[in-house]
Amino acid sequence: MKKLLDNWLVQFLLFLCVLGLTAFITDAIGDVLPPYLLMIGLFIGINLIMALGLNLITGVTGQLSLGHAAFMSIGAYASAIATVNYHVPFLGGVLIGGLVACLFGIVIGFPTLRLTGDYLAIATLGFAEIVRVQFTNMKITNGAIGFLGIQGSTTFPIVMTIAVITLVLMVWLENSRNGRAMLAIREDEIASSAVGINTTLYKIQAFAIGAFCAGVGGALFAHTTTFIQPTDFGFMKSVDILSIVVLGGLGSIPGTIIGAIVLTAAPEILRPLANYRMMVYGVLLVIIMIFRPYGLLGGVNLRQAVRRAFMLTKKKQAGREE
Amino acid sequence: MSLLTLDNVTIRFGGLTAVDTVNLEVKQGEILALIGPNGAGKSTVFNLITSIYQPTEGKISLDGKALTGIPTHKIADMGITRTFQTIRLFPELSVLDNVKIGAHCRGKAGLFHAFTRLPSMKQEEAEMEENAIKALEFLDLAAKREDMAKNLSYGEQRRLEIARALVSKPKILLLDEPAAGMNPQEKVVLMEMIRRIRDTGITIFLVEHDMKLVMGISERIAVLDYGKLIAKGTPLEVRSNKAVIEAYLGSGEFKSRIRR
Repeated sequence: MKKLLDNWLVQFLLFLCVLGLTAFITDAIGDVLPPYLLMIGLFIGINLIMALGLNLITGVTGQLSLGHAAFMSIGAYASAIATVNYHVPFLGGVLIGGLVACLFGIVIGFPTLRLTGDYLAIATLGFAEIVRVQFTNMKITNGAIGFLGIQGSTTFPIVMTIAVITLVLMVWLENSRNGRAMLAIREDEIASSAVGINTTLYKIQAFAIGAFCAGVGGALFAHTTTFIQPTDFGFMKSVDILSIVVLGGLGSIPGTIIGAIVLTAAPEILRPLANYRMMVYGVLLVIIMIFRPYGLLGGVNLRQAVRRAFMLTKKKQAGREE
Repeated sequence: MSLLTLDNVTIRFGGLTAVDTVNLEVKQGEILALIGPNGAGKSTVFNLITSIYQPTEGKISLDGKALTGIPTHKIADMGITRTFQTIRLFPELSVLDNVKIGAHCRGKAGLFHAFTRLPSMKQEEAEMEENAIKALEFLDLAAKREDMAKNLSYGEQRRLEIARALVSKPKILLLDEPAAGMNPQEKVVLMEMIRRIRDTGITIFLVEHDMKLVMGISERIAVLDYGKLIAKGTPLEVRSNKAVIEAYLGSGEFKSRIRR
């Protein structure tokens, strides 16, 4: 059984099965759920895709980026222009959105990734502002009026399937040679280069993949709302995505999932509070950070925890038998 | 036969000459110690060898290949790995991952392999894990492989750093004050371990303050004072060298001047 599971083809088929199942289940859910809840679910998926990208940059590689909304907007506009002006099919548009954002990630990565910590954060912040102002003044994006007439092609199954693909690829990446190199950079850059890790290369890789995820998320966003304007992608949007990653636990993929669910659903759940909504939301954030300063699942090694629980029950059983 | 050669190496930081025309050869398979008073430039020599600093003058070569101008991350690939004076592990990662990262330069898998998980990549991972566990067993850390590096004791952390440096199978291992902060028993174990590493064919070049350890294991000693190499030789020769005694204890004239 174990040998069979180690086979590459079996694993690939299993992966496809999981994707098919996701699409099927989410499709079935989509028929049952009211549209309002479905919309929340859809935004959880989109936020998850983008947060997983930022988690790779900030949580895994340790590079604080405050410009994730810029990559999102690049993906959104690129895909919108592709599908509306050039009649590219929807999924092609999503791919284009991701690729263009990825390209910008690489171009921006080269000069800015020499910086570390706060300085990098400021540089990415500046980049995000440049992008926003640029979109406000470009003709093809229809400037501040906003880009109209995008088709609402995004569906719940599509978002969830892409989210699952992103999730699986991120887990694989983290458990590979590249992922370990990225983790090492977060932990100690000098030691990393001493063991032979090309720190610039892996930082740019992380930045490019993170930007790609943001671009895909942005493209899905554009084809959900059917209308995008530069103010959708301001500084607050970057902070929103960053708080998902931080609240979930930096570098923790399960944490990012929980963060995306909690932070996307919370403002909607709190809607009955009307004027006090965002205040309570803020208080909620503060409380979570006080009780879990490293995020909801920060510092929790799930695999280790499961193994430990397993070993404990085994020991108990052994004790009983004696 | 010399493995690592420092040829007239000088580095200046502004007006300060930290390392001054040092000529040094590390021979294949030996244990060489570099000693000297605080601030003599010992760690700077290590930073020069690993390309963290570039020499202002002179050149460094390994097996006849020049190391000057090569970026730091390629040095490990060429066969030089090191430990640090202040421990530099990856504290939030497991012991096993720490060592696996040490073998980074021996791996080939790239992004494509990470995303496709082809059998070749899995095989490389398995080999990497096997080598990492071997290195951990060699340094008596295999039982702790799942622990986080930051939860190890001080002596264990020092050993883990050596394991991380060894797993890439270097030609030469640079140890920067490996015994710092260890108690006498741990030092004895460390001496034994350094000898065992040398016996596997790895040349050892260490910087150390602990004279007992240095005199006990090194075959040759080089003494640095104010960036200048003032003596080279066997432990016995160095111990009786006048310039060395002067560097460590001061000259008789100096003392008498104080007395006056």
